[in-house]
Amino acid sequence: MKFAIALFAPPQAPSSRRALRFAEAVLAGGHEIVRLFFYQDAVQHASAALVCAQDETDIAAQWIRFIQDNQLDSVVCIAAALRRGVLDAGEAQRHGGRPAVVEQPQWALSGLGQLHEAAQLADRLICFGGP
Amino acid sequence: MSTLHLLSHSPFGDDRLNSCLRLLSPGDGLLLCGEAVQALRPGSQPRRQLDALPDDIALHALDEDLLARGLTEQLPARLQRLDYPAFVACSLAFDKVNSWL
Amino acid sequence: MAKSLLLICRQSPWAGPPAREALDIALAGGAFELPLALLFLDDGVFQLVADQNPSALEQKDLQANLRALPLFGVDQLYVCQRSLAERGLNADSLVLPAHPLDEAGLRALIAEHDQSVTL
Repeated sequence: MKFAIALFAPPQAPSSRRALRFAEAVLAGGHEIVRLFFYQDAVQHASAALVCAQDETDIAAQWIRFIQDNQLDSVVCIAAALRRGVLDAGEAQRHGGRPAVVEQPQWALSGLGQLHEAAQLADRLICFGGP
Repeated sequence: MSTLHLLSHSPFGDDRLNSCLRLLSPGDGLLLCGEAVQALRPGSQPRRQLDALPDDIALHALDEDLLARGLTEQLPARLQRLDYPAFVACSLAFDKVNSWL
Repeated sequence: MAKSLLLICRQSPWAGPPAREALDIALAGGAFELPLALLFLDDGVFQLVADQNPSALEQKDLQANLRALPLFGVDQLYVCQRSLAERGLNADSLVLPAHPLDEAGLRALIAEHDQSVTL
């Protein structure tokens, strides 16, 4: 079965870890993830400027490894990202030379149309957010 | 079509659970995770609401959230405790998943 | 055939970005001509109240986005009767033609959609 997974909370929220563990279980169960979509505060996952304390679980880093290892399509909503200062090099330049914090190539800044497309392709749309 | 309602907010001082309970149809399911498992506290009003749910509403909770909060005693007999593989299976047992973000 | 999506909006327009960001999902779906419906529930009904003045808080007018919904083909708009009544509001004085539903109507609305999310 195909899953579209959308995350609405930042890496510090318990729902980020929950979404990741769910996504891992989806693949371990032999299912497919058509897309990961990061919206609202979840756009922070794409920031390379995140610093995790040494004695804390680095969920953002685990997400990146998961995405890379499984070559998943991971889209960050561009409007939500801009609003929250999460810019890649292209957007940083486009907006007057601001700092770019999105560095890893697996993050694609794109529109909400990608969320809808994923929802149409998937058998299940599962959204995570809040605590 | 059946709906699995996914809740993660505490029911205390928040009306997501109340609103959700009013919108359940026969054959739907509730999955409590995160702070929503606090609704299972024995002696609480949310617990009484959950105990009063009709038999045709399936009740689930994410096991790690129960363990973390010491909520392992006096749970409803009907409660299905889920690990992540069971969470995935549960999401497929209903026609759709409606998350209360 | 396209899957239908029900967006359940529970956020007041005055509580930060979520209300507007939920609406953006609806507008994007409308732009792709997807079958979409919106349900205003709990504090989400505050999005429909008339005579509000976002400029008093130097905020954008969310109702401009709401009024754009039919232009994007999103005209299946619903509002929870109970949420209105709890807040002393009347279905007749809303800024958009949102169809009021009682709880049975809301349950049927949720059941008939292929997908839904409560924002």
